[in-house]
Amino acid sequence: MARINPEFTDELKKYGAFDANACYNCGNCTAVCTLSDEENSFPRKMVRYSVLGLESEIQTSLDPWLCYYCGECSSTCPREANPGELMMSLRRWLTAKYDWTGLSGLLYKSLAASIAAFVFLAAVVVWFGAYEHFHIETIMHYGHLFEVFAISFVFTFILLPNIIHMWWLTVVKSGKHVPLAAYFKALGELVVHMFTQKRALGCDDNQFRWLEHFILVLSYLSLLFTTVFLDWFSTNSMFIIVLGYVESALIFIVTFDFVRHRIIKDKEISKHSQPSDWLFVVWLFMMGLTAFMVRLFIDLNWLDDNVWMYIIQLIVLVQWALIIVPFGKWTHFLYRSFAMYYHKINEAAV
Amino acid sequence: MQEPKKILKYDVLVIGGGIAGGESAINLANLGYKVLLVEKELSIGGKMILLSKVFPTLDCAACITTPKVSEIARHPNITIFTSAEVTEITKKDEHQFEAIVLQKPRYVNVADCTGCQLCEQACPVNVTDEYQYGLVGRKAAYIPFSIASPRAAAIDIDNCTLCGACERACPTKCIDFTQTDEEYLVKVKSVVVATGFKLFDPLKIPRYGFDKCKNVITSMQMERELAPTRPFNTILRPGDGKMPDNIAYVLCTGSRDKSVGNPICSQICCMYSIKQAQLLMGALPMADITIYYLHIRAFGKGFNEFYAQAQDMGVEFVKGKVGKISEKENGNLILRYEDIEEGVVKEAEHDMVVLSVGVLPNQGIDEVFDNQKLQLDPFHFVNQSDILASPAKTSIEGVFVAGTASGPMDIPDSILSGGAASAETTSYLRRANQ
Repeated sequence: MARINPEFTDELKKYGAFDANACYNCGNCTAVCTLSDEENSFPRKMVRYSVLGLESEIQTSLDPWLCYYCGECSSTCPREANPGELMMSLRRWLTAKYDWTGLSGLLYKSLAASIAAFVFLAAVVVWFGAYEHFHIETIMHYGHLFEVFAISFVFTFILLPNIIHMWWLTVVKSGKHVPLAAYFKALGELVVHMFTQKRALGCDDNQFRWLEHFILVLSYLSLLFTTVFLDWFSTNSMFIIVLGYVESALIFIVTFDFVRHRIIKDKEISKHSQPSDWLFVVWLFMMGLTAFMVRLFIDLNWLDDNVWMYIIQLIVLVQWALIIVPFGKWTHFLYRSFAMYYHKINEAAV
Repeated sequence: MQEPKKILKYDVLVIGGGIAGGESAINLANLGYKVLLVEKELSIGGKMILLSKVFPTLDCAACITTPKVSEIARHPNITIFTSAEVTEITKKDEHQFEAIVLQKPRYVNVADCTGCQLCEQACPVNVTDEYQYGLVGRKAAYIPFSIASPRAAAIDIDNCTLCGACERACPTKCIDFTQTDEEYLVKVKSVVVATGFKLFDPLKIPRYGFDKCKNVITSMQMERELAPTRPFNTILRPGDGKMPDNIAYVLCTGSRDKSVGNPICSQICCMYSIKQAQLLMGALPMADITIYYLHIRAFGKGFNEFYAQAQDMGVEFVKGKVGKISEKENGNLILRYEDIEEGVVKEAEHDMVVLSVGVLPNQGIDEVFDNQKLQLDPFHFVNQSDILASPAKTSIEGVFVAGTASGPMDIPDSILSGGAASAETTSYLRRANQ
């Protein structure tokens, strides 16, 4: 039997701003949600679980990932309980739960810890620069090595185990028998949702935001590929150089628009920003901008006299790769697409 | 130079000629006090006179209101100003109030009008009838509604083309286009505020499709369709005139809803919807009625039995707030809601939807008081400063509140409240004489 835990909402509130206890269970949120259907009726069920503190039910549910936060439920909620933000908080909480290191939870809940981690990594990079006497070629060489190393390390030791943990909670624990073939059949779903976020198109009036997000994801992934595997900063190929410029420019243009919305709070989705949201979107902006600047400095032959430019880019990159990617908001890229994958698998279960 | 205002003297000024204000006026008049009753509409009787039946007894609302209204109208101690507004009240001292009353022109001499309706027939202008809540049209020269008091014509000057047809048709020559605004200075000893309520405007919830989907109507429109003086003489859906056979009620439209700025319960919607459902089952014996509710609040005397009676009659009650209403090509409506009992989102088709709209305060009365502050409650109803010991008392000594001006309430409570206001006014006036 489920155990009620009234303290759960207090814990959950550290992950976002909502008032689940205000809910009087009218079901308006579920009814206005265009993504909610007979099989998966949310968010009210999740509000209920949260109020009762049914942690294991929430941990094993994929519903929070099926929501793409159009904010309609929050703006029409008769009790201003903010169910949309509750779903967002649950996603942050789940991110912390999936993470075996426990660092996600710490960084989500404590801004001080996040700042300390960012400052520490910045100091390490500066120290490393000084250690190498700010010799630009050596630093760039190690910077490139770091990228390759960080990607493989973070993926193997953090992200992969977390995705397996998520699979354990949401697929295995459900107790349903899943035929092996379902894992292969659902693979298409994984790829489509990872690269397109197709489901978000089901939200009302979401076409433009979806397009922005789609461009951002593609630019980010291709910039990653261009810098790591095509070695953008050292290449002589005109095509690759221009490609990198376009990709990094798209990143900082789109993220600038995201930041703008979060500042003017014109939409329900941009009204409630947690530190993790700011860090994610601002760092992504800076990733695009600093990468663009570094390549510009190289092309103008300024970089040798302005090593600081590359040091800044490296600081942003290190913080991004070691904090935001494994423990921050970046993980929604994986969890969202794997949630759709596991959801498809669960549907095939007998 | 401004014309000197005509000065009138009364014991009590009652603002609002609905059932609460009327009850206060008649009690005071019966005790011998001279009362001025000021009503902003063309007829007294308020909202109640327009209703079909009352819950939970299913008595005819008009049959209760009309005798009461004519008693008020004929009472020697009561003077009535219709289409008039109190624009300013100054408290000079205890038992000394001075009010400015603006009498707007009706363009008809009420005393001479016989209510023959020849002007209505002659008038070429058709506009929407606000007393039938937009279900049908009326003329620009018109009698507000058949049981109006006074039952006299009025000219809707905003829509009038000044063609003069009504003037020529009138057998008693009572139409007078030369009438203008008149201001009165009224000296009274006490004031009763009975300004009533207004209904929530469902256009504020665009997802319910009111005005966009033709077969979505308000509960007040349904009330008119059910009333003895109903416009169609049967129940029709406005989109195509079809007799509906599957009607849905959407409770809490604009009540208990912070997102539209009205967080409180309107107290009457559950019961009037249950009442209408029962009446509809009589009017359309084959029709299915479904009521979508959050919680049924049947708290008054006989209310719960009335609710159970509706269930026994076959009215379906579904727990869940309707999230969206969309229209199909044939005019039927799709309601999307979460069935709370099952926790599953569902869609249901109905051929007519009634939005059970809530009660909102009639705002602005506090601005009328010139040198004193009439306190309002957080929801902009008149604050009852001593709700338990003296429920009609307001923040101004000598000013009392009656009926829904102080908050949502049903008809029996409004009448009780009107009675309480008259009793407290009396004791205030007696103190003046000692």
